[in-house]
Amino acid sequence: MALHPILSATLRNKTGAILIALQIAITLAIVCNAVFIINERLDQIGRPTGMDVDNIFVIQSVGFSPKYNPADARRMDMDMLRAMPGVVDAAPISDIPLSGGGWGDALATKPGEGVSEQSGNIFTVDTHGLNAFGLKLVAGRNFRPDEILEEDSQSTDFPKVVIVTRAMADKLFPNGDALGKTVYEGAGGRHAATIIGIVERMQGAWVHWTGLERSVLAPIVYNQSFTRYIVRTEPGRRDAVMQAARQKLDTSNPGRFIQKVRSLADYRAKSYADDTAMATMLGVVTALILTITAFGIVGLASFSVNQRIKQIGTRRALGARRRDIVRYFMIENWMITSIGVVVGSALAVGVNFWLVNLFSIEPLTWYYIPVAILALWVLGLLAVMGPALRAARVPPAIATRTV
Amino acid sequence: MFIYNLRLAWLSVRRNPILSVLMVGAIAIGIGVSTTTLTVYHLMSGNPIPDKSNQLYAVQLDSRSKEATSTDPPTQLNYRDAMALMHAHRATRQTADYITSLVVHPPRVEQKPFYAVARVALSDFFPMFEVPFQYGSPWEKADDESGAQVAVLSHDLNQKLFGGANSVGKSLQLGDRTFRIVGVLAPWSPTPKFYDLENNHFGDTEDLFIPFGLTVPMQLQSSGNTNCYGSAGDGTFTGFLNSECNWIQFWVELPTQADRDSYMQFLNSYVQEQKRVGRFPRPLDNRLQNVTEWLNFNHVVSDDSRALVALALLFLGVCMLNTIGLILAKFLRRSPEIGLRRALGARRSVLFRQYLVEVGIIGVAGGLGGLLLAWLGLWGVRNLISDGARIAHLDWLMVGAALLLALAASIAAGIYPAWRVIRMAPAAYLKVQ
Amino acid sequence: MLKMQNIDKIYRTDVVQTHALSSFSLEVREGEFVAIMGPSGSGKTTFLNIAGLLETFDAGTYVLDGKDVSHLNDDQRSRIRNERIGFIFQGFNLIPDLNVYENVDVPLRYRSMKAPERDRRIREALETVGLASRMKHVPAQLSGGQQQRVAIARALAGEPRVLLADEPTGNLDSLMARQVLDLLESINDAGTTIVMVTHDPELARRAHRSVHVLDGQLIDTQAAEIAPFQPESEVEPDAARG
Repeated sequence: MALHPILSATLRNKTGAILIALQIAITLAIVCNAVFIINERLDQIGRPTGMDVDNIFVIQSVGFSPKYNPADARRMDMDMLRAMPGVVDAAPISDIPLSGGGWGDALATKPGEGVSEQSGNIFTVDTHGLNAFGLKLVAGRNFRPDEILEEDSQSTDFPKVVIVTRAMADKLFPNGDALGKTVYEGAGGRHAATIIGIVERMQGAWVHWTGLERSVLAPIVYNQSFTRYIVRTEPGRRDAVMQAARQKLDTSNPGRFIQKVRSLADYRAKSYADDTAMATMLGVVTALILTITAFGIVGLASFSVNQRIKQIGTRRALGARRRDIVRYFMIENWMITSIGVVVGSALAVGVNFWLVNLFSIEPLTWYYIPVAILALWVLGLLAVMGPALRAARVPPAIATRTV
Repeated sequence: MFIYNLRLAWLSVRRNPILSVLMVGAIAIGIGVSTTTLTVYHLMSGNPIPDKSNQLYAVQLDSRSKEATSTDPPTQLNYRDAMALMHAHRATRQTADYITSLVVHPPRVEQKPFYAVARVALSDFFPMFEVPFQYGSPWEKADDESGAQVAVLSHDLNQKLFGGANSVGKSLQLGDRTFRIVGVLAPWSPTPKFYDLENNHFGDTEDLFIPFGLTVPMQLQSSGNTNCYGSAGDGTFTGFLNSECNWIQFWVELPTQADRDSYMQFLNSYVQEQKRVGRFPRPLDNRLQNVTEWLNFNHVVSDDSRALVALALLFLGVCMLNTIGLILAKFLRRSPEIGLRRALGARRSVLFRQYLVEVGIIGVAGGLGGLLLAWLGLWGVRNLISDGARIAHLDWLMVGAALLLALAASIAAGIYPAWRVIRMAPAAYLKVQ
Repeated sequence: MLKMQNIDKIYRTDVVQTHALSSFSLEVREGEFVAIMGPSGSGKTTFLNIAGLLETFDAGTYVLDGKDVSHLNDDQRSRIRNERIGFIFQGFNLIPDLNVYENVDVPLRYRSMKAPERDRRIREALETVGLASRMKHVPAQLSGGQQQRVAIARALAGEPRVLLADEPTGNLDSLMARQVLDLLESINDAGTTIVMVTHDPELARRAHRSVHVLDGQLIDTQAAEIAPFQPESEVEPDAARG
């Protein structure tokens, strides 16, 4: 059936059509932008961390008794944790990746003031750090026991060797020859250290920082009353080991208490909580708006069917088959939807432009628009199906009824 | 007449229950979504201290090294500058403060020691920020720098340690020192936590407060943000205090514009003086920002929540279009009745009012439904957002706003359809189609 | 052309069964102009619905244009309606959103017919009813008589074998009614079979033959011997009584 007579019928009855088209247009604009933002956030959350996030947990131990000896306690705790069934490895650390708190500093390729530096995120570990984080060493070697520096909390010494992530190595040495090179840490590049290893990837503390993957591992352990341990377990045993480890540590030393035994996944979830919230809220909004629009189409299509019972009967009497009637309403709706999506595409770009300008939202990727158009076409056809089928059931004998 | 209109409206609502439910549902969802996002926005952007927000200023000094690239000076001061400003006493009130972690040894032996967050501050902190006391009072001004071991407990910590009883005068062991409790706060949780935007905009109030003068004797370290411009010192605590590491928040109370101007002059002359001894290598860029400016400067209202409000309002637009369509459908279906009433002598304005009463009823029902949805939505937000509890609860203002918005939206949605149907000539409806 | 034998039509609701037609038989020859008469509720409209394949029936056989149409499915019946039957309704049943040209086009749209052929037929049909100049008008801009002529043009454009008219002048004043009847007669003269349902004896006398329906049954047939033309003034009381 040709479009022209349907179009002219629709145009002569335009208020309902305009309302639905406008509604579809705004829906398209919202859905495009919302789904785009959702995907952007989910992509961010889903970036590889380089670590065995799902099987790692963190323990904080705080010594409070005057007799508490941090170095002894740490050694005992480490031996105990590493010997626990289900534990792959454990290490003392200063800061927790993905947690939002950490040690940010800069590395330079030359010493001296005013040298261009690359900011990065320093994590202290001992020789077990690589394995406990589940990092993949792609070049060089791990730290040796004799390279581990023991410091108290005030100390500002820096070790002679570091392991850096691929991202940090490439940033410092764009030619890819970072291994074995010397880097300078701290203000004025006071501390020289040799890169002895490169790990494929390790996300740092601040998940929304552009330098997230520029991490540096420094072989330091601190002898202070506040310490953190990272523990990596065999897959699937994290929660059980977490509980057992807490109990063991709680009772092993009366001069301290254990707090914040939490999984690394938990820290990550908290860091991304607002992104997850945004994605979830936008998801709900998208689902609701599609529902509302679908109901709007159903409502107005029903109205339009009810208004045209007589003419449907007449068409049937004049030889229209049921499927001709269904097709009529489908095509009519499809045309209205199409007008809506055309206007909506422009609106989507406009809304995005506005979001980009006012808020820190990325510009929309073009293919979201055709996908959304397709989705709205399908939604429109599904929504109009009910009223259209009802229209097809109008008996042709209606035509001879006088009222 | 209004009662008659109400009755007619109710009959009409009942006549098309599905259409009515659809209309009420569309408005309810629109209102629910907008109220949820607006509430979050409203609570995020709230003024936590409205009567004094123009008198309290956060102090910024640009003590950074030449290489620093950001356009804004640091949000915190280093120890040397903080001490200098403190000792100058140029403001009506002033406080230098930061947070630290302390081991609390509960007086009841069955409780294990635990870490508490302490705010290290000056006694002016309490009157400046209008902190309410349940028991006792702030410590004496004299104790600010005397090294006196006195503490003010938060309501929650007092609850935890002393079961909420008046603990003023009791002693409490913090770390390896014994403190005397001088005050207990009434529940206090300014939203946003404007006095410390460095560490979590919507976080909880600290567990306890101790005098700034304890920094050196206890070698306290900030557990909040520390930004170093240049070396972090020689490894000793004194070295750290003398370094260009910024970790102290500095607030002043300046009641008048003149006070503000003279304080600014004071800051500039202080920095000029420091320049002479080789500090402050950058051009003069000192700032005093009042609470509102400070909240904006620190982007307390997240872009996400603004974007959500924008999208939610568009969403409400869709719901309204939807409702206009449905109301139009409904009114047009009733055309013969309108024709009859017109033929029987009803004036247009009377019918118009009848329709507006009807959409008003739909609006109120939609608004109530919307509040229910908003309540559900905020419950969801509380579980989703970090510190959501503070910024996701309905207050009476938002309840009223939601109902008004629903009423306005539905009446706005009803005006066109009502106008459309009453505009036709009465005969047009009576004629058999 | 049209042959019904022992047609039964029963309407059922939860409480009652109504025999709208019972053992209804009728034959209409090709080229005839037959009037079906009867008071309201007699079954005229049911007869028309069945004759026009708008409704199915419960028993009996119906042969239309040499084809048994008793047991066709919905699509097949749509096709026959479209190609062999032209309808003229009391209420005109023009589609208010479409203009005159588009209205006449409606039945043609439901067959695979090339655009030039459709155009030719529409223009020809509108020419026949004298409304070629009103093609762009919508029904609301036309008088009742003009609307009915558009409806007739719509029926003619399909070149039907039989034209079913349901009180074609019921909504018209006498002048317009006469124009419409004249038009029907000339169409019949041109060879199209016409079956007209009416309760108006005057109208019925313009037909070759009147048939009376009462309580769903044919009570007698009566050829209008004085056919084809009968001046309206000379009313025959017998014919009116039936």
